[in-house]
Amino acid sequence: MFGRSTYDYDDDGFRRCSVTGLDIHRSAEDMVKLYGLTAILALAVGGVFAVFVALTRWEVVGLLSPGDFYTYLSIHAWNLLIFWMVFMEIAILYVGGPFVLGRKLALPSLAKAGYVAMLAGAVTVNAAIWLTSYPNNAPLLTSYVPLESSWQFYLGALVFVLGAIVAALPFFATMWREKRENPNATLPLVAFGAFATSIIAFEALVGGVLTYGPALLWRLEILATLDSAFYRQMYWIIGHGSQQINLLAMITVWYFITHVVGGAEVASQKVSRTAFVLYIFFINMGAAHHLMSDPVVSTGWRMWNTSYAAYGAVLASMIHAFAIPAGLEAGRRAKGKGGGLFGWLWSGPWDDPGFSATILSIVLFGFLGGITGVMMGQMQLNMTWHNTLAVPGHFHATVATGTTLAFMGLGYYVLRLVFGREWSLGPIAKIQPFLYGGAMGVTVVMMMYAGVLFGVPRRHPTVMDIPGTEFSFEAAAPFFAIFGVGALVSIVGGALFVVVALATLFTGDEFEGGPVGDLSRTVADGGGSDHEPVHEQSMRGTFVLTLVFFATFVVLTALNWYLLSNIWGIGP
Amino acid sequence: MDSPLDEPEGNWWDEAVNRRETLWIALSAGWALSLFGWMIGWTEFGDQNNVGQTYSITPDEFQTKVADFKDRAEDTERGLVPADEDVYVGALQWGWDGLPVVLEAGETYRFHLGSYDVQHGFSVRNEENLSQQMSLQILPDYEWVVEMEFDEPSTYHVVCNEFCGNGHRSMHSTIHVEG
Repeated sequence: MFGRSTYDYDDDGFRRCSVTGLDIHRSAEDMVKLYGLTAILALAVGGVFAVFVALTRWEVVGLLSPGDFYTYLSIHAWNLLIFWMVFMEIAILYVGGPFVLGRKLALPSLAKAGYVAMLAGAVTVNAAIWLTSYPNNAPLLTSYVPLESSWQFYLGALVFVLGAIVAALPFFATMWREKRENPNATLPLVAFGAFATSIIAFEALVGGVLTYGPALLWRLEILATLDSAFYRQMYWIIGHGSQQINLLAMITVWYFITHVVGGAEVASQKVSRTAFVLYIFFINMGAAHHLMSDPVVSTGWRMWNTSYAAYGAVLASMIHAFAIPAGLEAGRRAKGKGGGLFGWLWSGPWDDPGFSATILSIVLFGFLGGITGVMMGQMQLNMTWHNTLAVPGHFHATVATGTTLAFMGLGYYVLRLVFGREWSLGPIAKIQPFLYGGAMGVTVVMMMYAGVLFGVPRRHPTVMDIPGTEFSFEAAAPFFAIFGVGALVSIVGGALFVVVALATLFTGDEFEGGPVGDLSRTVADGGGSDHEPVHEQSMRGTFVLTLVFFATFVVLTALNWYLLSNIWGIGP
Repeated sequence: MDSPLDEPEGNWWDEAVNRRETLWIALSAGWALSLFGWMIGWTEFGDQNNVGQTYSITPDEFQTKVADFKDRAEDTERGLVPADEDVYVGALQWGWDGLPVVLEAGETYRFHLGSYDVQHGFSVRNEENLSQQMSLQILPDYEWVVEMEFDEPSTYHVVCNEFCGNGHRSMHSTIHVEG
């Protein structure tokens, strides 16, 4: 596929990866390339539109007119939150299933059909948004009825979602065949994580059909009305569910890359797998936290979904937050890669962008994205976050610093291990994760400050100048100045990833195989099991790090409740 | 060695778990229960709860109610002084019907929130202290009744923070609270 690979396959279509030891079949690898590169294309499109969005919200520049702003924001959102993510996630399913299990991709024609539908849907959505004209409105991400968008938009979204369901089927079929042939075998953890991801993806995508199907019928005036509260509940099954796919795919990638590049082992199979099962049961119900400040849904319904359900998923995330660094710590200690409290971490291959992107992703996701998500998921605190700029702050912390950075880390290894090419522009590749992650981290913190401390609304092009009133959010201007600079630097950082990826594809030397990171692969892949069991390795460094995380979590939660308690009386 | 890429060896379910990992799970579970308990407790002991009865209503019916509210209220230079404790807010593209209002500090009012057209966001903040702010969603076909009691005399600014079309940014009004 694409003729850019340096690898050859044997007569059965397999090749053995010299770094991971995986047997990879061409049928799966071709599709990983196709979906992966399409994802990077969507990343590039969304990134270009990010420039316009950031420079409009930074009102010192104020680039776009209000009408254009909503159009550009919609294209930015759909390409980065949906197309970049979902194309990449299908690729991750094909890695987590066929690659890890050493199998052919089952039903390859469905993978191609799904791709064609997803691409057609994505192009239709982009075109429909770009060509929005009266009486239609830019859909943004949510396209809340009854605000009308063009019927072509709903159709494109529906086709994309159906395409993604079709594209997931070859993964399920591969798993089915594996279990038929090896009924008593346990799936490797990465395959198990991919399987959990696929279940959550399926639920989310069915939500998408229930959202865009009725919305299309309503827009075509086949359905006379569509209840706004019904739409919101169906919409958030896919609206947040799609981001839960990101979460699980990202965590699966964390396990994968920390092992391949850093030499991590699994701290406890039982604990990590239980955490994935908790996600399957609870995380989609947790999406109800979008309706915390809504009428219609009862207090009991909201409490149930943000307590019993959401905390089942929060517990799972906290488990992974320990298990992944602990696996890295135990694995590196066992290989003599670090003594003391944090030697295993400092000694890591920080000049390897796969490693640095992954570690930064874990830290930034946890501290910035995870904590804020739990806080705004509490019913009462939600009032101070709902629809403020702090909400995009939160999901840029999860999606832009967390998932995107993790997928970039994976992308670096797709270039090496799938396309067989050594990174071009090596020095740029080394600094890219730090530049992108650092700047994006600053940007999202500014968005959260502006949102929670000043109540600056999201989806608003001119908060410094509200027509018809003297009132404005001028007090937040200093935060927007840092936001603007941070956003531009992070866009440059993101663009450098695309540049390195394209340069590598077209000019990269042949990748010679291991060692990667700072490991000799024979050791990393378990050449010797002469050391003590993983659970007997010290995890004290990880324990200290997670206690710092916990203290931050408690302090930030207390501060937010304090802010809430200062508001006037609301409710009975 | 326990690689995430290989089938785990032996009886992996019965493998011991590191003591610190067990401790962390207990701490996390305790924290989740605390957050849950706090949220429930706040509905009893806290003064800020986004809780109130919802009623089905057509936009036309709701508009009639808002008009009735305006008729009964006293019209002053700063806004409407409600005749009783009910305040009706009708959100529309692109303005706030029923606002501005003039309220008394320390009095409890029932805010009736509804929309004449699409979804809107009722986002209110104290002009003296912007971090005193909160948002409630407004949906067409529903009337949401939420009690509010402002204790500090000040001007509270209302903006829409749910995208509602090209004029979205111009939706602004005020609630004047007098001592």
